[in-house]
Formats: sequence, structure tokens, C-alpha cells
Amino acid sequence: MLGEFLHILAAAIVSWILFVAVDIFFKLPETGGVVGATAIARDIEAGGGDLAGGTMMGNIVCSPDASAGTLLAACGVYVAGIPGGLAAAVLVYIGNRICYDPGYAGTTGAVLATFVVYGFTLVGFAATDFIAGMVIAILTVQGLSHAHASQLLGRLWRVRE
Amino acid sequence: MIALYIVAVIAVFAVIRATLEKNTGRKLPYVNVMNFAVAGAIVLLLDHPLALAAAAAYFVGSTLEANALASTYAGGDRRG
Repeated sequence: MLGEFLHILAAAIVSWILFVAVDIFFKLPETGGVVGATAIARDIEAGGGDLAGGTMMGNIVCSPDASAGTLLAACGVYVAGIPGGLAAAVLVYIGNRICYDPGYAGTTGAVLATFVVYGFTLVGFAATDFIAGMVIAILTVQGLSHAHASQLLGRLWRVRE
Repeated sequence: MIALYIVAVIAVFAVIRATLEKNTGRKLPYVNVMNFAVAGAIVLLLDHPLALAAAAAYFVGSTLEANALASTYAGGDRRG
């Protein structure tokens, strides 16, 4: 029981690093992909947050990004192994197109996450650890403190710049 | 099994945060967390290959809704 809990926590940390790295690599904090993402960013900044970090959070809300890719890839690996993860990547790509997202962060994230999750299943982790881990990871970014999360993301974005 | 409970608790927590938040722009990230949690719960509850299609359909659909809500909200701002 404790072992599973620790696996989920470790999976949450791995998922967090994976999706934040991919999103920042694809410049999600730079501009809002759609006008709604920019509006969310402004509200987060007005609430004491950082504009670049808020823009990334707005983009996560408005289109499937690497975090969605990681979640669906973990779901895919759980139900059907590597082919399931790659099927999830295709579904995320379709989702990106539906949401008028020009970026490929979601698809890249899903493909990377498929192999990361599968790799961890070989060393004793379950794919379900990554499903719960990714939900915890997105909670820490979008669901606890928008001001603090956006400031952290903004700081990481300025390091990349 | 713990995974399902964690995901369910996070979904309820996100709904409560979204309900209490007054600002529409800051409400949407909480709803986003709920969408992640529900998509995860679908697959954790139904261990079947088609559960992936269901979770992806739910997730992409809810993201498109959030996109539409946010865009409408932004358009409302401009008119104001």
C-alpha cells in the first residue's frame, strides 16, 4: 500500500518534469495560442501571478498540450501497451487540430511519455501510477495556487530564454 | 486501487475550487484539473482498449469547451 503510494508520488514527479520540459521547449509560455489563453493569463497575472507562466497555464486549458499527452499516453499504455500509447498520441494530435493549436507539444509529449511510462513499467511501476501521478502533477500546476505555479513556470521559462 | 481514489478525490477538490473561485479566467484551470481527473478515472474504472477512446473523446471535447468558454470570455472583455 505504501509502496504503491510512493510509486504514484515518483510518477507524479517524473510526469511533472516531462510535461513542463516539453511545454517550455515548445514555447507555450511565449504567446497564447488562442485569445482565450491570453485572457486566462491576464487574470492569473491580475491575481498576483506571472504573465509568461499564466500564458502557459492558459494554453494548457485551451488545447491538449504535453500534460494531456502524458495523461492519455499513460492511459494508452495501461490498456494496450506501447501501441495504446501511440494511439493516444494520434488522438492528442487530432485534439490539437480540433482546438486550432499550431504547436506539436501534445503529440511530442504523448510519444515521449509512451516510452517513459513503458520503461517504468519494466522496473516495477504500474501504468496506473502514471495516470494518478499525472493528475497530481496537473493539480500542482493548475489547481493549488495559480500565483505561485505561474511564478515558478515563468522562472523556468526565463531560464530557457 | 489507490490510484482511483487519489484521482477521484482530486476531481472533487477541483470542482470545489472551481465553484468557490469568482474570477472566470482563474476558474478554468480548476475545471481543467477536473477534466484530467475524470479522463484518468474513466480508464482506471474501465480496463478495456476502448476506454482510451472514451477518455480521449471526453478530454478533447472538454478541452474544446474550455477553449470556447475562454474565447467567449476574452471577446466579452474586448466589447466591455
